Amino acid sequence: MNPKPITNFVSQFGVQIALNLDLMVEKNGRFYLVNPVLKPLVRQDFFYAGVYLGKVKEGKFFPSFNLLGMLAKKGAYRVVLDRKAAWLFICGRDVLGKSIVRVQGPGKKHTNTLVVNEFGECLGFGRIVGNLSGEGGADQIVVRNVSDVGDFLRRER
Amino acid sequence: MSGKEFFTSRYERLGWKYQEVTLKQAIRINTANAKGKNLITRLSSLGVNLEKIPFLDSGYWILESKVSAGATAEYLLGLYSIQEAAAQIPVSLFTHLKGKKTLDVAAAPGGKTVQMTDLMENSGAIAALDVDKRRLNALSNHLERCHVSNTVVYLLDARQAPELSVKFDRVLVDAPCSGNFASDRDWFKNRTLKDVERNAGLQREIITKAVECLSDDGEMVYSTCSLEPEEDELNIDWAIKNLNLQTEQIYCQGEKGLTNIFGKQLDPSIKHCRRLWPGETQGFFVCKLKKGSPKP
Repeated sequence: MNPKPITNFVSQFGVQIALNLDLMVEKNGRFYLVNPVLKPLVRQDFFYAGVYLGKVKEGKFFPSFNLLGMLAKKGAYRVVLDRKAAWLFICGRDVLGKSIVRVQGPGKKHTNTLVVNEFGECLGFGRIVGNLSGEGGADQIVVRNVSDVGDFLRRER
Repeated sequence: MSGKEFFTSRYERLGWKYQEVTLKQAIRINTANAKGKNLITRLSSLGVNLEKIPFLDSGYWILESKVSAGATAEYLLGLYSIQEAAAQIPVSLFTHLKGKKTLDVAAAPGGKTVQMTDLMENSGAIAALDVDKRRLNALSNHLERCHVSNTVVYLLDARQAPELSVKFDRVLVDAPCSGNFASDRDWFKNRTLKDVERNAGLQREIITKAVECLSDDGEMVYSTCSLEPEEDELNIDWAIKNLNLQTEQIYCQGEKGLTNIFGKQLDPSIKHCRRLWPGETQGFFVCKLKKGSPKP
């Protein structure tokens, strides 16, 4: 079990998570974290187990929303959106400068950031592409949507 | 033997006069996820008007809504699930779920699995089985959306559950069934008594295998959304007589189980089961079972 794809991804957000390798299982490039009571029930042919953390596909790591939620609880770098923008983000839209209520972290261009709503709930993450301070203009796209919880709806189609 | 007249005359012989039913959509709050989040107020601000379901701990009917209940941020964040009111009853009948090993033999799409997790506060372990791979994707999405951490999912026929070689403290048999007209407009057109009997046979096989997985002092809850006694009281009567199971007294919505079906007298303890005729909820049947003392 090589947890590097996960730990590398996590480190971009200014936090660390401790992963107990004995409680991690992997299947087809998908990583799961299980609890000690669940572990003995997990056979090789399982379909899904415990907390899904994400998958590696063609060398790239795709985090799960559970993992992003864990990072949010740890205080990871984030942008906080107003209510309307939060809904638009869930619908797959990018973030405009005027929609950001607060920034936590350096907010450097070309880095990733969590995107959370006014309640601190993680809606997904995005790539910073503009000036988060709004200097580039209120209507400028500053965070490109990479992944959002609206995906749960899109998967069912 | 099929058609609306055939089936409704059976219901009348069982003591219920057929009536058209319009079901209200219901949700169940995932209490662990929604704790301290003022969910009712948040939904109200979106134009979702709720009414507490009096016979459920965390169930609410949607009286009116300006948005789809399945497309709100609160839903996508796992703060609540959409789950029909009667379907929220079976899991609520288990005692002391926290920390237990639990089996859900026909789990997809996962409403009851997530409900168990919520009551278990994500402790212990659940093995959730389903035989349909497409439905397993829906189940897994449901688990991820609701932040479930104590469940392992297998593509497995309920009748293969003993292959897990585990004795479970709690077993949920929410059996694949014929359904009922309240949740399927074409039900009377599509169903025959033969279908019902075939499903009843499958359910007996599932109960038999589920009992093999149940610990000696464990609890099993059996439920269907079928109104047909072959899948309900008659199956439980069979299980009492053939699998040494006994019914437990339960306290929930519904009428007592029927102890006389079309002239056939059943075990008197069948009255402990609950039958919900369609009305406030869809049609439903539920009972709680335990292993009887070993026979000498």
